[in-house]
Amino acid sequence: MNWERFLDALSRVPHELSIHVIMVLISLAVAIAISLPIGVILTRPRFRKMGALVMNILNLFQAFPGMAIIALTMPVLGMGLKPAIGALVVQALLPIARNTIAGLYGVDPNTKEAAQGMGMSERKVLFEVELPLAMPVILAGIRTSAVYVVSVGTLAAYIGGGGLGDIIVAGLNMLWAEFIIVGAGFGALLAIFFERGLSYLEYKFTPPGFTITK
Amino acid sequence: MIELHDVTKIYAGQTVPAVKNLTLKIKEGETCVFVGPSGCGKSTILRMINRMIEQTSGTILINNKDIREADPDRLRMGIGYVIQQIGLLPHRTIAENISIVPRLYGWDKERIRKRVDELLELMGLDPDETRDKFPAQLSGGQMQRVGVARAMAADPPIMLMDEPFGAVDPIVRGHLQDEFLKIQREMKKTICFVTHDINEAIKMGDTIAIFEKGQLVQHGTPQEILSKPKNEFVRTFIGTDRVVKMLTLFQVRSITKDNYSIIRENELANIRQKMDDEGAAVGILMNESAKPCGLITRDDLEKAGELNPEKIKEIACGKKDAFIDGDLLLNDALSLMLEWNCDYLGVLDGAQLIGIVSFDDIRECVRRKEGE
Repeated sequence: MNWERFLDALSRVPHELSIHVIMVLISLAVAIAISLPIGVILTRPRFRKMGALVMNILNLFQAFPGMAIIALTMPVLGMGLKPAIGALVVQALLPIARNTIAGLYGVDPNTKEAAQGMGMSERKVLFEVELPLAMPVILAGIRTSAVYVVSVGTLAAYIGGGGLGDIIVAGLNMLWAEFIIVGAGFGALLAIFFERGLSYLEYKFTPPGFTITK
Repeated sequence: MIELHDVTKIYAGQTVPAVKNLTLKIKEGETCVFVGPSGCGKSTILRMINRMIEQTSGTILINNKDIREADPDRLRMGIGYVIQQIGLLPHRTIAENISIVPRLYGWDKERIRKRVDELLELMGLDPDETRDKFPAQLSGGQMQRVGVARAMAADPPIMLMDEPFGAVDPIVRGHLQDEFLKIQREMKKTICFVTHDINEAIKMGDTIAIFEKGQLVQHGTPQEILSKPKNEFVRTFIGTDRVVKMLTLFQVRSITKDNYSIIRENELANIRQKMDDEGAAVGILMNESAKPCGLITRDDLEKAGELNPEKIKEIACGKKDAFIDGDLLLNDALSLMLEWNCDYLGVLDGAQLIGIVSFDDIRECVRRKEGE
């Protein structure tokens, strides 16, 4: 253990961590913006038939190793943060879309029937009934994606994306255990932070009627 | 009010129609009960009226307007809808659940608040206690009440009720039925009510429509259905206690007679003389405060032989329970006659004696109604 190297690694954390967080947040935001509507559309009766096809494509994306996706985006999007985010989005799509669909299908059909029968438009039923009731399941999907993206995000360093991966890769190249420990350690902490934070949100978004017991 | 003309519904991918050539008229202010075994199409008909399902052919008119010309959401806002599973929104409070349709109409907050409290009270729920609860915190019976209150929120002239009291135990169901009948007597809404329970149909319906395999078999008042079942299916559906069920349609007070004599303590000795003079079938013993306290029939007198006042009093007082409220139904009276083994019962209105009812009167009533 070399304290100087350790401190050197730590001094690089604020910069790399902020890049990593930005990378994760942007990837998640884009993935949600794509997956949530996909999930909603695939549960509408008109598009239900396409569900299997779209989900298979997303499954395929998920099946590629993170490293492969990151490598594959480089010829298309070049080097840097942008291709890294692109790769992370592709990897984050499936859990969110899958949970959106599962959450929406999980809404009690009687509740939907009653809402529609009272004269709520399809739009109102979606926004006031279906999405709020599916929200805990959707958030669980976002949580899965978030943890995944934090870990795969360390690979972004290989295509110049920066982030905590930079510290790890530097450590691997120089065989400096201190760098590896700091980079990987903060990566793990970040993953735990996202996991706990989103769990709390999930709890907050669970309809009160579900949590209160007599 | 609601008219169905030659309505047929064939679900996609099926060859047998769920509803076949149905023509039916439901008058304003009338409760029409659709009844039949599972899968007879009764729920399908209900759901076609508010366009949750579109009919394959035929027309449905509400107030002489074809419902297909209306915007489905506007149409549904004007029709109260209650389903067996209730379908309260679990993430909204009771007040929010009840105010869904008023909010769609854009009522202001104050008006909605008042209406919610009014409805909770009407349904026998304490507004202060219930308003801010979530559905999961209520019992089954309370949820059913909220479901009905929600359907009535914007005071729609038409209500569609699909087994609205089906998910609660029989005792609570009985209460809910009684309360709803009371409310309906004042509101006079046009109601389509679906059930598979013939007893509920007889109790709730102004008219009953019996369905079998998507076809209307018989439509008429409960009395018509019970006295003249159209075919073997209806007869079986009603059950072998058809006549006893018919008795549930009439209150005891409707057939009471006044061929009785009031007997006071001091008249016991010449009771037979008095009953002969008044042409009475029954002597009713009154106590000092003019309350009926016993009952004696001619048969009893014959059997007693000697006219000993003490003995007569003893026999009469042995039947001190043989008095029933005039609001009870004929089947109740019959049951009590069998229970107490007596042919005559005194009929009361509160504590006031209003007449007597006999086994023969009930039999006569059945004979007459069957002939009608």
